[in-house]
Amino acid sequence: MPSDPSPLGAIGAYAVHLPRHGLATTAFGDAGRPGRQARTVAAPDEDAVTLAVAAALPLADEIAGAASLLLATSQPPYLDKGSAATVHAALELPATVAAADLVGLRAGASALALALRGGGAVVAADLRTAAPGVPDELAHGDAAVAFVPARAGRPVVASVLAHVAATEELMERWRAPGEAHPTVWDERFSAGVLGAAASAAAVAALERAGIERPDHVVVACANPRAAAAARKALGGDGEDAALERLTGTSGAAHLGLLLADALDRAGAGETILALSAADGADAFVVRADVPAGAGRRGPSAREQAQALAYVTYDRFLRWRGLLEISGAKRPDPAPPAAPPALRTRDWKFGLVAARCSACGAVTTPPGRACAACGAIDAHEPVSLRDKPARVVSFTVDHLTPTPAPPLILAIVDVEGGGRRSVQVTDAPAAGIRVGDVLLPSFRRLSSTDGIHNYFWKARPEAA
Amino acid sequence: MASRGLSDRVAIVGMGCTPFRDHWDRSADDLIVDAVQECLASVPAIARADVDAYWVGTQGSGMSGMTLSKPLRMTGKPVTRVENFCATGSEAFRNACFAVASGAYDVVMATGVEKLKDSSFSGLTATWPPSDGTDVEWTAPGAFSLLAPAYADRYGVGEEQLRETLTHIAWKNHRNGALNARAQFRKEVPRAAISGAMKIAGPLGVMDCSGVADGAAAALIVRAEDAHLYTDRPVYLKGMGFVSGAGEGTAAEGYDFTTFPEVVASAQEAYRQAGVTDPRSEIALAEVHDCFTPTELVLMEDLGFSARGEGWRDVLDGAFDRDGAVAVNPDGGLKSFGHPIGATGLRMLFECFTQLRGEAGERQLPEVRLAVAQNLGGQPGACVAFMAIVGTEEPA
Repeated sequence: MPSDPSPLGAIGAYAVHLPRHGLATTAFGDAGRPGRQARTVAAPDEDAVTLAVAAALPLADEIAGAASLLLATSQPPYLDKGSAATVHAALELPATVAAADLVGLRAGASALALALRGGGAVVAADLRTAAPGVPDELAHGDAAVAFVPARAGRPVVASVLAHVAATEELMERWRAPGEAHPTVWDERFSAGVLGAAASAAAVAALERAGIERPDHVVVACANPRAAAAARKALGGDGEDAALERLTGTSGAAHLGLLLADALDRAGAGETILALSAADGADAFVVRADVPAGAGRRGPSAREQAQALAYVTYDRFLRWRGLLEISGAKRPDPAPPAAPPALRTRDWKFGLVAARCSACGAVTTPPGRACAACGAIDAHEPVSLRDKPARVVSFTVDHLTPTPAPPLILAIVDVEGGGRRSVQVTDAPAAGIRVGDVLLPSFRRLSSTDGIHNYFWKARPEAA
Repeated sequence: MASRGLSDRVAIVGMGCTPFRDHWDRSADDLIVDAVQECLASVPAIARADVDAYWVGTQGSGMSGMTLSKPLRMTGKPVTRVENFCATGSEAFRNACFAVASGAYDVVMATGVEKLKDSSFSGLTATWPPSDGTDVEWTAPGAFSLLAPAYADRYGVGEEQLRETLTHIAWKNHRNGALNARAQFRKEVPRAAISGAMKIAGPLGVMDCSGVADGAAAALIVRAEDAHLYTDRPVYLKGMGFVSGAGEGTAAEGYDFTTFPEVVASAQEAYRQAGVTDPRSEIALAEVHDCFTPTELVLMEDLGFSARGEGWRDVLDGAFDRDGAVAVNPDGGLKSFGHPIGATGLRMLFECFTQLRGEAGERQLPEVRLAVAQNLGGQPGACVAFMAIVGTEEPA
């Protein structure tokens, strides 16, 4: 284990989050099983922010000690307003941690290079949608991954030995704000340009790291022809492509996803060439400093990819807003107002309730008075964010329109105290039962008048 | 400090109630004028100018006392607008009672109105103040549907027995409403149509839900000692309770969704004031808040008509049918009479008033001396609850 961290930065821990759902076919009818290519699918209450929060949650304490938090995505839920600030709030980070967005398909690679060099944390989260009917519609997926920098006195999980960037102005794929999916230039033309940039960057990075042949090669590129050519040229073993056949390429999150998966496989001392090809290329040479998977928090990418619940194509289209189905006529949910959301930010974003200093009961939402004994202004904050909760009662609401029916609402009692009304998300087809254990999950409840309403839903433990 | 109540201190001497309907051709203004006119017409000795003060309850069909004074083009009178969820009409009545009992006024009128059918939304909607967006938006059927499985679990009632019980409640209330010209739905509904109806929330189908309707109602209230100046058949307030919940049922652990603690507390207060110790034998009829069928089931126990865990059996045995131990919702209830929110509380009193005076025609129950009007608003675990007991016995 090196005592002198690389000046290019070192990874202290990482975590991956894949959505619960997948899509295995673009034929209408059955959901089917993964064949040659499948993809991960975020539910309609997930976006880059919620996926980022899910990936970063196991690392929240470490991120709180980092210099900054960069959110890399091609799908920021807001322009102007930073999406990283919402992730920052959900993780209950100190205000002194700078949180900023990096946008675009290359953002994941850039954020990794910038953050690790400066002792910052990175979370890359993306949702990708191809135009319905294009041949590689299943080849793009949704994922999130988080890396925290190594800290003094703590084990180094992986060291960055080299990073070489090569920038190319190229109309390979592009998307104007508001468009549902990108437009792609002739794949063969782009593959040649990206392939050349990637090869040059890879060769230079390996040379800089003093490594002739890396133990692992992962290539992240939305252009499948370019990715396949680079893997072949660099002697990759195809493990990255195997994972990709279950997830699709996940935009700005993809390099991180493949790097995390490589760290799950690389023994201590083994080297990884991690190559991203977007707007040119970024080549990283990374050395694993601990045994395979030892730096990961939570389940691996592969474990999650193998546990996906596959949805039908019509459901996927509905979730992406590409197919609208009307329900009962009900008013749109009211958007949150800015001052109340700021006043209650610890509750809204951090799920911090109030524990009564007089009787010990937990009150939600927190207020001046205890719901159990009525004591006023006698309480301390208590976080419910990481606590499981048991279903006391629930209902299936057929009246409120939702893109992801059925809408399940439940009353849950939180382990250690507290009761919440929650929307249940990611429920299995069989539904839920009284007594089931649910975990908090940060989701987008609704979007009205261009305001996204984020709050904590609950999801089944096993999901 | 004590709650002394108004037992035998005030009397209802006249009432009005519009039919509850899809009143496409009538506004809230029209409906409230209809209810006030009918109410005044029922007491020839009182002209509009004789009424000293007014209360108007509406959940969302108007703002301020001008909801009443403007449609009547009435000048120079105090009008108070009140709102208390689905108990809004009851709240108008309650405050009007306090006003005459205090001696501040001699004759007051409580009114309630709701115009729901000008919105094209399904079910009820509400407008809330700007918020942080963290409250789960329970629809009414969603929130009340929690009662059914919780009750069944606690008392070991099977799924089929529960369904039969809920079906019986809806069937009974439609059967009662079929005899009521003012009811929104005036025909019996076969049990199979109730149990097989399209699901709305949890085990509740559309036929487990009350009717969304337009309507208005009104009551003239005076001090008990003055009642015979205006009518030979006054109806006296014997007891009245009201509780505004702390919402602890959804904010902290403990509540199990098989009862309304707020209803129990308000009922105990009303029974105490009225000297009722055995509700099932002393109360002839009860108008209760059957917003959804499981609500009526739970209320039978909360009001003391059934022992805990026995309500479902009593329902199936017909104990709350029109010829049962307690006639529950003989006018059809929210289920078939309809539920224009601000008017409902006064509509309940209208049936009590009509039955106590022997004016219910085909629906008339024998020997009615004490009647209950029970209303609630909100949702299980977080509600407001009202109860009034009215009777014909002259104050001592």
